[in-house]
Amino acid sequence: MSTAVHLDEITKRFPGVVANDDVDLTVERGTVHALLGENGAGKTTLMNILYGLYEPTEGTVHVDGEPRDFDSPADAIDAGIGMIHQHFMLVDPMTVAENIVLGNEPRKWFGTTVDRERARQEVIDLSNRYGFDVNPDDAIEDVSVGVQQRVEILKALYRGADILILDEPTAVLTPQEVEELFRVFEELTAQGKTIIFISHKLGEAMHAADDITVLRDGKNVGTVKADETSNEELAELMVGREVLLEPKAEPQEPGDEVLAVQHLSAEDNRGIPAVSDVSFDIREGEVFGIAGVDGNGQSQLVEAITGLRTPTGGAISYKGRDITGASRRSRIADGMAYIPEDRHERGLVMDFDLVQNGILGSQHSPTFAADGRINWSDARDHAERIIDEYDVRPPHADADAESFSGGNQQKFIVGREFEREPDLVVATHPTRGVDIGAMEFIHERLLDLRAEGKAVLLVSSKLDEVQGLSDRLGVMHDGELMDIVDPRNTTEEEIGLLMAGERPDADATDAEPPVGDAK
Amino acid sequence: MSTTTIDRLRDTELSYRATLAGGALSVFLLIALLGLAFPGSIWGNFLAILTSRSTLSSALRLSVPITFAALGGIFSEKAGVVNIGLEGLLIISAFTAVITTAVVGPEMTVLGLPAIWIGFFAGILSSVLFSALFAVVCIRFKADQIIAGLAVWLIALGLAPFAATVYYGGVNTDNLGTTLGTWTIPVLSDIPFFGAFFDADPAVYMMLVAVPASWYVLNRTAFGRHVRASGENPKALDTVGVDVSRVRYAGVLLSGFLAGIGGSALSLGLGQFVGNNQTMVNGKGFIAIVAYLFGNYNPIGAFGASFLFAGLEAAQIRLQQVPGYAIPDSLIQTIPYVTVLVVLALVGRTRIPEAAGEHYDTGDDNR
Repeated sequence: MSTAVHLDEITKRFPGVVANDDVDLTVERGTVHALLGENGAGKTTLMNILYGLYEPTEGTVHVDGEPRDFDSPADAIDAGIGMIHQHFMLVDPMTVAENIVLGNEPRKWFGTTVDRERARQEVIDLSNRYGFDVNPDDAIEDVSVGVQQRVEILKALYRGADILILDEPTAVLTPQEVEELFRVFEELTAQGKTIIFISHKLGEAMHAADDITVLRDGKNVGTVKADETSNEELAELMVGREVLLEPKAEPQEPGDEVLAVQHLSAEDNRGIPAVSDVSFDIREGEVFGIAGVDGNGQSQLVEAITGLRTPTGGAISYKGRDITGASRRSRIADGMAYIPEDRHERGLVMDFDLVQNGILGSQHSPTFAADGRINWSDARDHAERIIDEYDVRPPHADADAESFSGGNQQKFIVGREFEREPDLVVATHPTRGVDIGAMEFIHERLLDLRAEGKAVLLVSSKLDEVQGLSDRLGVMHDGELMDIVDPRNTTEEEIGLLMAGERPDADATDAEPPVGDAK
Repeated sequence: MSTTTIDRLRDTELSYRATLAGGALSVFLLIALLGLAFPGSIWGNFLAILTSRSTLSSALRLSVPITFAALGGIFSEKAGVVNIGLEGLLIISAFTAVITTAVVGPEMTVLGLPAIWIGFFAGILSSVLFSALFAVVCIRFKADQIIAGLAVWLIALGLAPFAATVYYGGVNTDNLGTTLGTWTIPVLSDIPFFGAFFDADPAVYMMLVAVPASWYVLNRTAFGRHVRASGENPKALDTVGVDVSRVRYAGVLLSGFLAGIGGSALSLGLGQFVGNNQTMVNGKGFIAIVAYLFGNYNPIGAFGASFLFAGLEAAQIRLQQVPGYAIPDSLIQTIPYVTVLVVLALVGRTRIPEAAGEHYDTGDDNR
């Protein structure tokens, strides 16, 4: 076995930050190598150096034993390196084949015209060779995310990549698509390709990789063989201390109904139905989870419940009263806390400092504005309390929100919402972009709220999260609540099928029942 | 969103389109039917006008500046730069073409090239230079494209009549006493009605070539694909090693080139530049934008829309010559705008390039 990539004592400094600190990394040809670490551990920076997007401050990159100095991705591509970014670089209205050959189009007629037949044939040959199931004539906008990812991989292969770097490749996939991707990995390595993938999910690294390198605070804290390590060991390497991996909700008898959603329907911003006929309820001391691939109506459902979107049908009652038409302000005053999915858009005002951000939503409350004017010293105490309790770093209440990292912004939002002493917490992706340590903390706090008898609506695309925390779990697909299951007695595969829109009992009929079926 | 929802959406759009096309066709058939039934009535006049060769001939001529500007707008916007300054490009090229011809001397030939053709190319050159300025401001200096585009229009709108005033003492230039003339193809031009295609202004032939050529470039060449990618997802283009800025410059310069042909043809077809009010261009650049939106960024569709608008204009001019019912000019001129309202609001099938109007940063700066 020969070495495909060797990074030798790579250090990358940005103004004020050391992103990579003396990192060594060796990847053998024909293997899958996982680069594991928390957010901000320097994984993506390291791979951007390998891909020629950044130049290392110190250290050398060796590819196939040769020292290389990449000025741009074009150099890396020439050296046989391809990178599949977290956000796909595809042109939506163009076809699969057009995207794959973009920039390297085969030509005919003295280079004037794209040889479409040859391009199509080359794409078909390439996808057959690696056993990919893609139709070269489909428009990108019509194919699933899993297929789009395969197109990205084909794009790199078409450019002659031998070493593929994938940045968080599973973040947008259903469990089935993840399995499919890992099969693709096997096929690629069997044909001599080398794969490096970035992840912060332990399970994936254990499952798909041959070797795992863990980065923490920009340093390589260890490279281990996947079959010689354990989840616990990896987690400890990542965080630097022992962590409680699996959130476990102790069974608990729920109390009175807090929220009831009946036959709720809503449209998205374009006026297309996004939520259709969804019904469920949440009781005191209960976590109700909603799983689903992003974009299947969860956002619109949550917006309807929190009062940010007017439903097109159905009713919402909260603490026994109908609040379908109630304003957002009255819902907040009534003890409904909300952790929004997009912290930039809805969670924080980026050019406000944390003192101001800390009272967002409470600006009318007597706690901070008893006489109609905001009491800034109370607001400051409040912000500092959140910073302290939720470990927001750096602990500067006067710094603008935008100067914090995503994980710390998230911790601050979670703190603000939990400190409202809510009766219902609507938490959408509460741990998105936060590291394992903070994730553990947020999970614990959610379970504390549950133990105090609060109701929690938890929406997340992380299946292990919703499965581990929820008492009951609803699965959404294409705006419908496919089913409500007991997460403790349901396998990941079963939930995955529901997420993909397949009802287990609907074997003979269409996967999508006719509208009105559930009414 | 599931594919079924997308399909449903497309179906409704299709039915909208079908309704629109069917509606237009049935209006035309109704006019034809009424015209045949009552030859002496307004409908009879209508039919006579719509089927007369001279209407077709003037519709073709009138559609030249609109079509060229629309083709230019397609290349620019497909590449990701919204060129709202097409009107200005038409004005500047229309003026430069005439003034250059006048300075050279309308009767002169230089190196075997008649002065009027030198003027024609000078018009194109002026438009290309203007669009280069626009491109630098928008791409290099990341100015707001709409504001920069309006600036192009307003500068041209002020500059051309001003220069005319300096040279001639009035906002209109003198008549050159010569025009681009007509090229007549023997035999073919004798065909009734459709003979108008073969007895036309040289610019009409250019247009009939430029439309399919633009379609070909956009859809069949690598450059065209890069243009489309640049307007949809520039990052995708950048990561495969194609310089996005270069593609965008090319798109904008091409729009200047094409709009320049339209502007030169407009003024040299008349032999004069008219600088009153909105100048002789009189909103054609804006109608061109409507035309390519209506045509959904397809050069053929844009030509169809331009031809429709020009045809209505031609019919309106002819109708004014029929005593009894003069349709106000300004009413006809609202048609393109009403159309775009209907098309964009009701039909909603026009797919604007995803990244049009957005600046693109390669991210090199933070290295």
